[in-house]
Amino acid sequence: MKSATRFLKRFACLALAAILSLTCLAACGGGEGGGGSGKTKLKVFLYMNDHEKEVYSAMVEKFKEAHADEVSDIEFQITTQSEYATTLTGMMTANDMPDVFYVGPERVKDYVSNGYVANLTPLLSSAGISTDDLPQGILDFYRYDGSNVGSGDLYALPKDASVFAYAYNKDLFDAAGVAYPDPSKPYTYEEFVSVLQQLTKDTNGDGEIDQWGASFADLYMLYQFIWSNDASFTSEDGKAITIDDPKFVDALQKYIDLTLKYQVTPTVEQDTALGPYQRWIAGQTGFYAAGTWDVASFMDPETFPYNWDLCYYPTMSSGKSYTWSGTVGFCVSEASEHKDLALQLISYLSTDPEGQKDLSGMTGNASVQVPNLLSLQDEFKSKVADGSMTYPSNVDVIFNYLNGTGFAQGRMMETTYTPNTEWIDMFWEQLTDVKAGKRDINEFISSIKPEMQASLDKAWANAG
Amino acid sequence: MASTTTTTPAKTDKPRMSQMALQEQRWGRLFVAAPFVGFCLFSAFPIVFAFVASLSNWTGTNSVFANFCGLNNYIELFTDARFWKTVGTTIIYMTGIPIGMILGLLIATAMNRRIPGVKILRTMYYVPVISSLVAVAILWAWVFNYDFGLLNLIIKALTGAKGPNWLGDEAWIKVAMIIFMVWKGLGTSVILYLSGLQNIPRDYYEAATIDGATGWQAFKNITIPLVSPVTFYLLITGIIGGFQVFVEVSVMTTNGGINYSAATVVYYLWDKAFKHQQMGYGAAMAFILAIIIFIVTAINFKGQDKWVKTID
Repeated sequence: MKSATRFLKRFACLALAAILSLTCLAACGGGEGGGGSGKTKLKVFLYMNDHEKEVYSAMVEKFKEAHADEVSDIEFQITTQSEYATTLTGMMTANDMPDVFYVGPERVKDYVSNGYVANLTPLLSSAGISTDDLPQGILDFYRYDGSNVGSGDLYALPKDASVFAYAYNKDLFDAAGVAYPDPSKPYTYEEFVSVLQQLTKDTNGDGEIDQWGASFADLYMLYQFIWSNDASFTSEDGKAITIDDPKFVDALQKYIDLTLKYQVTPTVEQDTALGPYQRWIAGQTGFYAAGTWDVASFMDPETFPYNWDLCYYPTMSSGKSYTWSGTVGFCVSEASEHKDLALQLISYLSTDPEGQKDLSGMTGNASVQVPNLLSLQDEFKSKVADGSMTYPSNVDVIFNYLNGTGFAQGRMMETTYTPNTEWIDMFWEQLTDVKAGKRDINEFISSIKPEMQASLDKAWANAG
Repeated sequence: MASTTTTTPAKTDKPRMSQMALQEQRWGRLFVAAPFVGFCLFSAFPIVFAFVASLSNWTGTNSVFANFCGLNNYIELFTDARFWKTVGTTIIYMTGIPIGMILGLLIATAMNRRIPGVKILRTMYYVPVISSLVAVAILWAWVFNYDFGLLNLIIKALTGAKGPNWLGDEAWIKVAMIIFMVWKGLGTSVILYLSGLQNIPRDYYEAATIDGATGWQAFKNITIPLVSPVTFYLLITGIIGGFQVFVEVSVMTTNGGINYSAATVVYYLWDKAFKHQQMGYGAAMAFILAIIIFIVTAINFKGQDKWVKTID
């Protein structure tokens, strides 16, 4: 009896110690391989919303079935956009990279230079995969020639290409008796101001403005004014701050004038109470932005119970309307032992027509992006035109910004080409005081420029 | 030549361990091994790695060792105006610590008696402590809303004037953060002071009453000294926690508030390391912060003899 108790005690101690040790070991490293079957296990790490996750999970399952002889499993790890970069940095530090992950244009140079991303050009060539049906302008964001992004070999396939188009609330236009914006011609700045003035009102007669022509989220909506005035935050190589360019100052002045001089936007104080997006959703502003990812929620009457459509941002001295584009791409890890298979997977995720139809809303689902494939764009537009899919009718606004026309152009933010965003965050942080009328624009520019330049210089120096 | 002989003292034999003791020793080592390995992997290694990283321009993607920069990050930190601004803001937030302690002691004293519903009251005060920090921070961001916030609605109803722009003004945002932090931590102060109060023998108060002491005199000369260990504990944990404030700023403000007026040291650290890929600089900041916390805590421990009293 006594020896049995002793045995049990020993066994319990041994089991406990083993569990503790295993817990430690398990925390230190993950598994590997495909269970000794000779098949491959792929690890995918991405961020996406619920609808995207649903579509991509189904696509991954289909890929697994189609490659059942080669693939034992695909670990499909999804996180949120805010968590993604931190987790990926952790994976890089631990040298435990997934086979497939995202890279944005702003990180291509960094990831390639530090050996995290595989060169797809030779892999695509040997696999006989063509990228001709993908927008070449978007592919260029994933090219790197050893010193510059935009040319050279390809390092990722686009998951999507998006633009931050402009939108207007038709109901407010109707109530004010103002004609809708021309879907093929952007307003000039003066025309824009005039329309905003007609839309800005005190609707309940309490003496306070409660409906504004527009509202602006500075971080996302000042670029359009700057670029359309032929100015930029930085020089082309992204190394010199150019905010003291008179064209930049002029564009900034006109942007600030909308709030301080014409008073057709909420004030800074009002913006802190209710942000521009919330005011748009509440039907308090005539214009706001609509990214391609916003379309589904704005088309949902429960979220946005107003009629609306797409239009262009106003033009400044260049006569051309600009907005910023965005894209993120699927890439293959340089450390992956299964690059060919990983390439097959990202090619499928990026270009499978059924998946693209699903994600763009052509199958009746909520639209989270426009189709990647050029061959699907016409079908997409015709479905919008005949009303068989839920989308604003001026869909050409998006494609004109994406593909570029004589009067509309999408482009990447300057931060895409700089090692970090600290230099521009300083600008946004202090712009609030200018917009509130507490600081003079010229004083602001002359005091912030050296700080921004110092930060940018440091970023480039650290980047090597 | 005379030869000398030396005698070496007899070596004292270590007492031989019994088989059972040896076995116990082995098991003991095995049990100690697991947490020791855990400590090495999850505490010691990261600390050493962070220190090495603090001596480099590590971005998170490049090599730590290939970008060694010596003490540059530390030198730069001392001339970094924004770092000192965030240190200042962090210290300003700590004014909430004595406010929380005073309120906690007063509420605990009020609840340290048999009154109907006292248990419900105690629970209510503790609810914020166990609530999700992110959830309550979002809630309070709405309470502080300039146009639609509960606080400004109350101010308007009482005074007819519009309340301050709590989260949109450089000064008021600090007041708002202190109010929130005091509210969030009040439950802990109340519960700890309550347990401290209940440990004070009733005899002390009875003796004081016989000697003719007033209520305030008893509170000042009995209660406050005898709950001083709790006060000390709250002060130490409050200061350490105060230096680490992050979530509140991250949730309740946009990019650290207007002109970075609400940002704390840890928020700035996160900004530098994770948002702007300056991991080396962030690691240096973490070390400076750890040294500051260590010094402040050491001073507190050194000074405790002068004011912390125990019943024994």
